[in-house]
Amino acid sequence: MASWGEARDSRLIGQRIPRLSGADKVTGKAKYTFDVNQPGMLYGRILGSPVTHAEITAINLSEAEALPGVKAAIPLIEPGKRVRYQGQEIAAVAAETDDIAKDAIRLIRFDYEELPYVVDVEEAMTEDAPQLHEDRPGNQSKPGIDERGDIEAGFAEAAKVVEATYHAPVQTHVSLETHGHVAAWDGDNLTVWASTQAVFGTRRDLAQHFNLPEDKVRVITEHMGGGFGSKFGPGVEGRAAAELARKAEAPVKLMVTRKDEHLVSGNRPSMTQHVRAGATKDGRLIAYDLRGYGTGGISGGAGFTGPYVYHVPNVRTEKFAVSINAGNARAMRAPGHPQGAFGMDSLMDELAEQLGMDALEFRRINSDSQPRRNEIRQTEYTLGAREIGWHRRNKVPGAGRGVKKRGIGMGCGQWGGGGGKGTQARVTIHADGTVEAVTGTQDLGTGIRTVIAIIVAEELGLRPQDITVKIGDSAPGLASGGSGGSQTIGSVTPVIKTAAIAAKQKLFEHIAPQWGVEPEALRAASGKLYLASDRTKTISWKEATGHLGMETISEGGYWDEELRIGDVAGVQFAEVEVDTETGVVKPIKIVAVQDCGMVVNRLTTESQINGGVIMGLSYALLEDRVMDAQTGKMINPNMSDYKVAGTMEIPEIKAIALDTGRKVTGIGEPPTIPTAGAIANAVYNAIGVRIRELPITPDKVLSALAEKGKA
Amino acid sequence: MIPGSFEYFAPTSLNEALDLLKTHGDDAKVLAGGHSLIPTMKLRLAEPAVIIDITRIGDLRGVSEPDGKLVIGALTTHYELESSALVQQKVPILSQTAAAIGDVQVRNKGTIGGSLVHADPAADWPATILALDADLKVAGPDGERVIKATDFFQELYTTALEPEEILTEIHVSIPAANTKGVYLKQYQAASGFALTGVAVLLTRSGDTCQKVAVGVNGVADVAYRATGVESELAGKTLSAENIAAAAEKAADGVDAMEDIHASPAYRANLAKVYAQRAIAQLAS
Ligand SMILES: Cc1cc2nc3c(=O)[nH]c(=O)nc-3n(C[C@H](O)[C@H](O)[C@H](O)COP(=O)(O)OP(=O)(O)OC[C@H]3O[C@@H](n4cnc5c(N)ncnc54)[C@H](O)[C@@H]3O)c2cc1C
Repeated sequence: MASWGEARDSRLIGQRIPRLSGADKVTGKAKYTFDVNQPGMLYGRILGSPVTHAEITAINLSEAEALPGVKAAIPLIEPGKRVRYQGQEIAAVAAETDDIAKDAIRLIRFDYEELPYVVDVEEAMTEDAPQLHEDRPGNQSKPGIDERGDIEAGFAEAAKVVEATYHAPVQTHVSLETHGHVAAWDGDNLTVWASTQAVFGTRRDLAQHFNLPEDKVRVITEHMGGGFGSKFGPGVEGRAAAELARKAEAPVKLMVTRKDEHLVSGNRPSMTQHVRAGATKDGRLIAYDLRGYGTGGISGGAGFTGPYVYHVPNVRTEKFAVSINAGNARAMRAPGHPQGAFGMDSLMDELAEQLGMDALEFRRINSDSQPRRNEIRQTEYTLGAREIGWHRRNKVPGAGRGVKKRGIGMGCGQWGGGGGKGTQARVTIHADGTVEAVTGTQDLGTGIRTVIAIIVAEELGLRPQDITVKIGDSAPGLASGGSGGSQTIGSVTPVIKTAAIAAKQKLFEHIAPQWGVEPEALRAASGKLYLASDRTKTISWKEATGHLGMETISEGGYWDEELRIGDVAGVQFAEVEVDTETGVVKPIKIVAVQDCGMVVNRLTTESQINGGVIMGLSYALLEDRVMDAQTGKMINPNMSDYKVAGTMEIPEIKAIALDTGRKVTGIGEPPTIPTAGAIANAVYNAIGVRIRELPITPDKVLSALAEKGKA
Repeated sequence: MIPGSFEYFAPTSLNEALDLLKTHGDDAKVLAGGHSLIPTMKLRLAEPAVIIDITRIGDLRGVSEPDGKLVIGALTTHYELESSALVQQKVPILSQTAAAIGDVQVRNKGTIGGSLVHADPAADWPATILALDADLKVAGPDGERVIKATDFFQELYTTALEPEEILTEIHVSIPAANTKGVYLKQYQAASGFALTGVAVLLTRSGDTCQKVAVGVNGVADVAYRATGVESELAGKTLSAENIAAAAEKAADGVDAMEDIHASPAYRANLAKVYAQRAIAQLAS
């Protein structure tokens, strides 16, 4: 059984190490799929449906095909089938230039019979709404019901009960690099550069689609510009790129437009939850009753969490998904959690206030039922409260003086992220001293490439930049799973670590006999091998590997589950300032205390936390997919009406990456969970009026203040 | 997104440009910085058959100061107005307004003339130009004429400019020493345009408001002068109460717009809040 060793013995693990691809990225040298060009490459474009709900009766591509420069056109839907949301793919073209492709899209003719549509969740549940699925009466999925304890007995015991409805909007992923591929055929070998979170998953999908053996398909993802759960396969657009390339007999680049990215590439579903919850006089949560639903569009929406984090003995929940005519949900950074956490943490504050308890104290009492998480969470409460200055919050919400009022709030989250089996990796040591670490995972920008280098370098006594990390390519045949669920580090690094141990052992076995010692007597550090019992007896790394002669050491690893852990806890605190005349909420500071297991690279870990917080505050204050009930279309499928937090909206973020043991864990998702709840509670603490609907826009803040003024 | 095809002309004199406009009539569009026109063409909201690029007409660019006023060529970019020492010194509210527009790239290309003629209700210039009582000089087939700023903005994206006319200059009187101005804006979070922008020029004698001019954009479908505020405050002491009472009238008689970014009530409220803040800032 392998181990990471003690923290005090680590030279690299836990340090702040700049990502290996950083310089390439900031200088533009790094090639994303968008940047990949092939000789003779064509440009692909997809025609998305301009109508919201219709049966397609005919598609005519001949005018598009006749446009000079157009090399291929394919339908993406069969006549007789329905498009069920704006943007759904109808046909695609490939042309010599992107401009010609865009013009060609306009020449695609199709006939359709328009059908009634519904894009509003509440309206979709009414009796006379158009029915979108045969097996979903009332456009609702069968509710998932969960019961434990005795809910009525619980409420009987409650001293205080709060009943409230919380709502969160649909949020789209807005990956900076849109979905896209470059596809090139060589005979029946297909190479695809893909902006994907799953190199091997994409390979399998394409192999099946084209009925090819998997080894005839190669997928490459050197760098990619974000996926957040929306990029686990080639999708319609990736298959279309490969089909166009085959038909045109030329490579095709097909990147989805920003508009279509909003419309068809997935989203975090909306959430509406009616909750009734009670607590005992001494502040114990005792009963929780929830009825809730959500929509991502044509599918998805039921999967939010509740009750969340805190321990409640008597629970009844009922959740269902509602279908509307809009692009469907996909996994999005901690699916179900931010919306669940926002509802739950708002409710926690409302209950605490009823009980006359401090909101932090109330959380301490009801913290996690899982012992490890609970212990960590209690520490996080202390650290976070100190960092934000919890004692400064308004004892009476809204009590601050002046036009601009400050408030402080908090929220919690939990996540799995322990990784799993299924990664193949090799660590190779060449006679010239170079070291390669190869595996089929992909770096979504999280920093796994650098983490792999750190782990191998630590084991071999080298520097991270001495390790050539080869990932994001299926060609070596070393499979790894998709990067989702914050599983990458927990899945990949145990295999890398054990492979590095094995490779080092092989090198020791070469050198030990020359020194007349056992391999176990050797150590590697600072670019040298040395004798544990006599540190003056050394040989440089290069000299040692030189002894390999014509040999190469290349070792695989195995997934040692003792090297990773899941089930992490996180706590965040937010301070905001609310302009009570304009309603503008300005985050002042956000403190994110995150259980990180064993931090491998502190710099990229903090970067992940910062990114999660930014996405969370964007969700809390800005983002909203707005659908127009009249036309059935999205009103803001762009970046000038759909606002994503940018530099100007980002406050001071204090990321506290908490080392909680010597096991790695994934934290891509957890830091985005608690932010919205913390901000909503801070807004309440500032102005004394609760906004139960995200995003907390200036308009809503002022309306709520006006309501309060009337009362 | 690419625009439809069009014929392109790049005249080097105003007369040439006016001739082209006359020849092509409604089919033609004048192109200045292109930062409003080209986006609308890409969306194919506009599909002009002819583009008359006026940016090579040198005379239309730059700022000068003949007899107590600033003369601003229509092709002067936002950045030039933001950074001109002359403007900063003589009419600083112009530099301030320019600085509130978009980002550096936009300010480097976009022109004051283009912005005024485009008459986007959320554009920044109109409030300030209204508050300054600027004169807009235009040239057409029948010669030149001057349109007062208060007569210029007529409806959503519609001005008093005739289709065959070109805006050539903006004339701004240099305010007296006891007149100060400020432009305050609430940015629409995503686009950076004005959700509401208020420009105020306050002329005071001691603690008394001698005259105040208030221009407002972003609230209604066309920028306007908040005359209610102006008449309420004129001749009064610049006390917090008087300023607040006057600012209350900032959206009087105005049909506020509704879109996904704000309700009419919210926009009307912003007009009042920013009028109050702007006047209070100048009064303090
Ligand atoms: C990303 C982005 C952000 C922006 N943000 C802001 C913002 O925050 N605030 C803001 O106010 N604006 C903003 N703008 C708009 C910008 O200020 C434009 O530059 C301006 O509105 C138009 O000026 P232009 O020179 O680009 O005109 P053009 O786009 O070339 O022309 C606009 C219209 O005016 C006509 N026209 C132009 N010049 C003349 C003339 N001299 N005589 C007659 N007709 C003429 C054209 O025919 C056209 O109809 C933004 C634009 C972009 C692209």
